[in-house]
Amino acid sequence: MSSRKGRNQAARVVREQIAREKRRKRTLWTSVGAVVVLVIAGLIGWSVYSSQKSDTFTAPPGANDAGTGIVLGTGPVTIDLYEDYLCPACKQFQQTSGETVNQLVSAGKARVVFHPVAYLNRFSTTEYSTRSSAASGCAAKGGRFKEFTDALFAQQPAEGSAGLSNDQLIDIGAGVGLNRDDFGSCVRDGTYTAWTEHVTDDASKAGVTGTPTIKVNGTAVEDRSPAGITAAVEAAGK
Amino acid sequence: MRVTTTRGPAGRWPLVRPWLGVAARLGLAAVWLYAGATKVGDLAASGRAVNAYQVMPYEVATAIGAALPFVELALGLLLLAGLATRLSAGISAALLVVFVAGIASAWARGLAIDCGCFGSGGQLAAGQSPSYLPEILRDLGFLALAGFLLIWPRTPFSVDGWLAGDPSVEDDDEQS
Repeated sequence: MSSRKGRNQAARVVREQIAREKRRKRTLWTSVGAVVVLVIAGLIGWSVYSSQKSDTFTAPPGANDAGTGIVLGTGPVTIDLYEDYLCPACKQFQQTSGETVNQLVSAGKARVVFHPVAYLNRFSTTEYSTRSSAASGCAAKGGRFKEFTDALFAQQPAEGSAGLSNDQLIDIGAGVGLNRDDFGSCVRDGTYTAWTEHVTDDASKAGVTGTPTIKVNGTAVEDRSPAGITAAVEAAGK
Repeated sequence: MRVTTTRGPAGRWPLVRPWLGVAARLGLAAVWLYAGATKVGDLAASGRAVNAYQVMPYEVATAIGAALPFVELALGLLLLAGLATRLSAGISAALLVVFVAGIASAWARGLAIDCGCFGSGGQLAAGQSPSYLPEILRDLGFLALAGFLLIWPRTPFSVDGWLAGDPSVEDDDEQS
């Protein structure tokens, strides 16, 4: 009697052990599967990003040597402007301090390197940031970068919208005196899309995490008011 | 802590727990799917959002920024299906701890950035102030969901339960 009870107990222990072993194996394999899924997902992201990156770019005429922005003026102090054509704070900066920057350039005190970065592609449904920046490269090619930039900020579309269409960009370009055919085909072909990517990438590497970012001789300026910009340029020019 | 508060009406807990588990699992799945979906459309921007924390070199930040949205989506799908729930919850918890640490360190260093948790990200415009505390509290809430699933991974309507053949069985040694 007692030995039979013992045998039953032993059998139950063995059964439980087998069941535990089965569970253990099942858990192991589902875990391995899940980890594989996550690793593959990460690799997909990485390879998609790598394939999106273009290696070669052509900087438009008027760009600096590094091809990271368009140079305006020849003054001794360098003002780097990192702006996205879709960024409302950039429009605001242009309105309040744009004229001051112009004066500093025309007075020969500073030169401007304008970096048209595409940081806000997520805030338009048509990658307006990239399209407008690439179009500004076309405008630089036609010698009307500054005029085109001012016109784009004046007609800035709202965040979250489709932005301006390529046709609208071409109309604006023609409106500031660019050749409609040359400029139009440059915008439609996305001639400077790879350049925009280079500009954006370089700005990120330079630690520019938001727009607008204003640097005077490489140092970020916190006070973006006309007085703040002037003071920073004066200090750097000494 | 959850044990002491919920063991009070001891009779109801075994009935309620599986449904709380489903809610936690689907809630956490929704968080990851939404977080991944808002970032996956612009991988370069995702990389910039990671880079804005200034804790790793630019190249590393962009690689992580590109991989993260897909990992988040995959994690969301695993939780949605209820496959390897305890492991998924564990990885979720680990990721959330890293996120909380990142936000806290950005706060401590006086950076003015958006956490980039659900799209956007990067430095804030002048005049905008960061909302680090709400972001951290929100992540701690998600962490609680992950913690629930770590402790009680078995929930109804899950692939784990289906594989086990008996979704109602209580197996504490399961998935440990």
